[in-house]
Amino acid sequence: MRAKVGVYICECGPNIAEKVDIDGIIAGLSEFDGFGETELVVKKYGFLCSKSGREFLEEEIRNLGLTHLVIGACSPRDHDSTFKGVCGRTDLNPYLYRIINIREHCSWVIDDVEKATEKAESYLRGGIARVLRQSELFENPIDVNPDVLVIGGGVAGMQAALSLAAEDRRVSIVERSDRLGGRALELSGLSSGTFRGSDIAAGQVESVMGNPYIDVFLNTGVSSVIGFLGNFVIELLSDEDGATTEISSGAIIAATGCAVYDPSLSGSYNYSDRDDVYNPLEISRMLSSEGGVALRSGGRPENIALVHCAGRDELNYCSGICCGVMMKTALLLKESIPGVDITEFYRDICVPPHEGRQLYESVLEAGVDLVRVESAGLSGTTVSFREKSGVEDQRSFDMVVTAPALIPSPDTADIALLLGIPLDDTGFFQEAHRMTDPSGTTTDGVFIAGTSQGPRGILDSMRFARASAGLILTRLIIGEKLVPEVAVSEILEAYCTGCGNCLEVCVYGAIYSDGSKGVSVVNEAICRGCGNCFGSCPSGALRTKHFTNTQLYREVDEALR
Amino acid sequence: MSQNGSVLIIGAGIAGMKAALMLAGASRKVHLVERLPIIGGKVIKNEESFPNMECSTCMVAPVQQAVLQNPDIETYTYSTVDRIDGGPGCFSAVIRKKARYISLVDCIGCGMCFDPCPVSLANEWEEGLMPRKAVYVPCSGSLPNVPVIDASSCLHLSGKQECSLCAESCAFEAVNLDDSDQVIEIEVGSVIIATGADTFDLSALPNLGYGILPSVYSPFEFERLFASNGPTQGEITLRGSGTVPRRIAIVHCIGRTEAGYCSSVCCMYSFKFVRFLRHKLPEAEVFNIHLDVCTPGKSYQSFFTSLDDRDTTMLFTPSIDDVRVTENGPSLTLSYPAPDGNTREIEVDMVILAAAMVPDRGLGEIAQMAGIQLDRHGFVMTVDRESGSLQTSRDGIFVAGTAEGPKDIQNTVIQAESAAGQALEAMSAAAAVNKERASGS
Repeated sequence: MRAKVGVYICECGPNIAEKVDIDGIIAGLSEFDGFGETELVVKKYGFLCSKSGREFLEEEIRNLGLTHLVIGACSPRDHDSTFKGVCGRTDLNPYLYRIINIREHCSWVIDDVEKATEKAESYLRGGIARVLRQSELFENPIDVNPDVLVIGGGVAGMQAALSLAAEDRRVSIVERSDRLGGRALELSGLSSGTFRGSDIAAGQVESVMGNPYIDVFLNTGVSSVIGFLGNFVIELLSDEDGATTEISSGAIIAATGCAVYDPSLSGSYNYSDRDDVYNPLEISRMLSSEGGVALRSGGRPENIALVHCAGRDELNYCSGICCGVMMKTALLLKESIPGVDITEFYRDICVPPHEGRQLYESVLEAGVDLVRVESAGLSGTTVSFREKSGVEDQRSFDMVVTAPALIPSPDTADIALLLGIPLDDTGFFQEAHRMTDPSGTTTDGVFIAGTSQGPRGILDSMRFARASAGLILTRLIIGEKLVPEVAVSEILEAYCTGCGNCLEVCVYGAIYSDGSKGVSVVNEAICRGCGNCFGSCPSGALRTKHFTNTQLYREVDEALR
Repeated sequence: MSQNGSVLIIGAGIAGMKAALMLAGASRKVHLVERLPIIGGKVIKNEESFPNMECSTCMVAPVQQAVLQNPDIETYTYSTVDRIDGGPGCFSAVIRKKARYISLVDCIGCGMCFDPCPVSLANEWEEGLMPRKAVYVPCSGSLPNVPVIDASSCLHLSGKQECSLCAESCAFEAVNLDDSDQVIEIEVGSVIIATGADTFDLSALPNLGYGILPSVYSPFEFERLFASNGPTQGEITLRGSGTVPRRIAIVHCIGRTEAGYCSSVCCMYSFKFVRFLRHKLPEAEVFNIHLDVCTPGKSYQSFFTSLDDRDTTMLFTPSIDDVRVTENGPSLTLSYPAPDGNTREIEVDMVILAAAMVPDRGLGEIAQMAGIQLDRHGFVMTVDRESGSLQTSRDGIFVAGTAEGPKDIQNTVIQAESAAGQALEAMSAAAAVNKERASGS
């Protein structure tokens, strides 16, 4: 069939019309014979993006039987989707259309009408040449599995499961240890705001266990993950008997939590496990035990030092929650041991805004001695410190409480590898975008939550979990299909040498190696059409649909003619 | 009663926009109401955002575009919400679209109407650092790129004088001086409050000279001074004298005592300013007068420790409240208590005050209108906190972002997603209950 390309030039009021001789371009293109048999229809319109402009285009496509459409107008960022929509309302495949930016690239930046016109005309010629090499592409909606796998049964993982589980959406929680609840369950003595961490976690455990739509796998790890958003297949491995279970889900939330830094790794903290040096978790446990807080030798401590910021220099980050935890620990110790003297050595006070000054003031009121230091170290239970004024001193105590930083849990790296998501330079999961997409990852369908992404408190972890759960609610909609990217990469088997370069550069994990044929294969459901692989292929086997070499070369050749 | 699945979001900053996009992605109808003539919120006032030093407008513009182009999001700029009645699943709300006097449909944003306007006054969005006309867009790159006529300063609309120069200059007949407020009633299932925050009112601390000494700057004034799309195209020159500052002091923790909390972002934006200055004015000497260094989270302290002595001199003071800034000829004298108890002085020619984040000054009114309670600091109070909920004291109304308390961009976005998720969760639970009732079980 003979191609019939409709070329419509938008005047954009005076924006294009005043700086580009549109009638001249229409005359020039109409006389141009470089496209062989192709028939060109070239027209102008006041505002193609307006309702009347869109209707005009629809009628033109239908009445003239256009096979291709080129729009000379503004930036695709403004109106590409508008004209794609126009095609969508006719029989013209939207991949047989192209917008050419003759406003931002020509009329707005070139003062000379002749030069602006010449450039606009060459751009349009290039666009016509390209659109003639474009092919129809079709959306291929796929069924999705609405179920979700949550890795980690701490407060974040449990909250995500509780937010998602419903009659038509099952959630599986995989937990490495032998119980749900995570670290929060150990915080029986410490509260988060006005609540005890352990009460929050215990309440969640009860809700999870009573929820008919949540399956819990304890003492279980993840051994393999394949698939993509909407369709993952996960193999679970029981730590108890080595048995494997295969489950499927549409999305995965990694809520693998964190661990606590070991202060003795820091050069300035010298103590052994015979010394009465503890972290707040251990104090919390003692506080809720029958014997209360006691020295290893038996007996109550008469004076206790709380030393902030263990690991802050070594790790080069501030966990942001330790100051609050230490102040609460000081208050609890004061309350549980009558007459105890408490000295808190701190460097900077970093307390979340919600806690405000109240916490700080109640610590002062309780008679805790707050000493601001430049640095502090331990030798057993003796604290050596340097004050801001430069004065150095040391003092001995019966007991010392350190404030270790939160660090990534030991299996973070393994889980990241299984899920195909990167870690950042601190060893926590890296977000898809640190600011605008903090709950997503580079693998679509894999989300992160809680302290697996970075240090934070219990309530913030739960809010984070609700964010990831919310994103899944908007992506895996019951009864709706997913439409994967259409302009994806493809590999021409005949030219592929199976070198694997493309596997290395694919950030989405969309390419795998077919060992039996010795070639690489693109999973079109995962591919996002970024084109990284295209550049890496030494044999020309790779093509990115809608961005082929032929399309690009023809456009450039014609524009430069 | 049938459950309504659409959502009203008040505030089109990064939190409101992210929540809107997420809900629209779930095929929900979203009504996004913004009191300014443009969407984007406070983030777009920053040239670059910490810690990645990414161009803020480049980061936010695609989000703004996506919002404006999404057929499921109805954006009401230059609008307020007058009333919210009803309850979860069946709220009815009244939106007041203030008269813009310029048609959002017909205007193409060419800006031909600006020059003819005879009125000139300070541009609030640019922190008063440059003038605007009565017909104006707040900033270059405004989205939607459609001006508004400020009725109180317009000669015609304020009744001072007959003038229609803007209308005459418009080739698209987009100016309508007879425009009036429009009141629209909508039905929604949930509401999200995402109205953002303000910075501490620096005029409350006369010892720091803000508003009296021209070389004393607020953080957003400095952001705009640095911004390449700002009043000076990014040239850092002093207000009044027009000279380039050589010695600059950044004073931390301003308003912390008065507000009663640490905002946890001011240290970071102060260190960002140090980077800005090092980049633009490599010869300048920069001092940070600070108390606690609060850089919470995995990526903030390393941003601070990457600065060295050539970038800034860190001067610790045990009492920010006792810092004084006074005039000293063409420059300024800054005095502060040193750790040894003595008062020290430094001579500088520019002072930037790192002000605390405080509740938006319009939040009290919004809270009253929406029937929700504020916390002791004046931010929106959440209930059922032990479940990480962002539910306000009124069922079906959620809060997100800095309306809930000071926070950085990352945590603002997390909260926006969390609130949107919670709204969805609540509405699907309500729908499930409805289904059960309908089936008679």
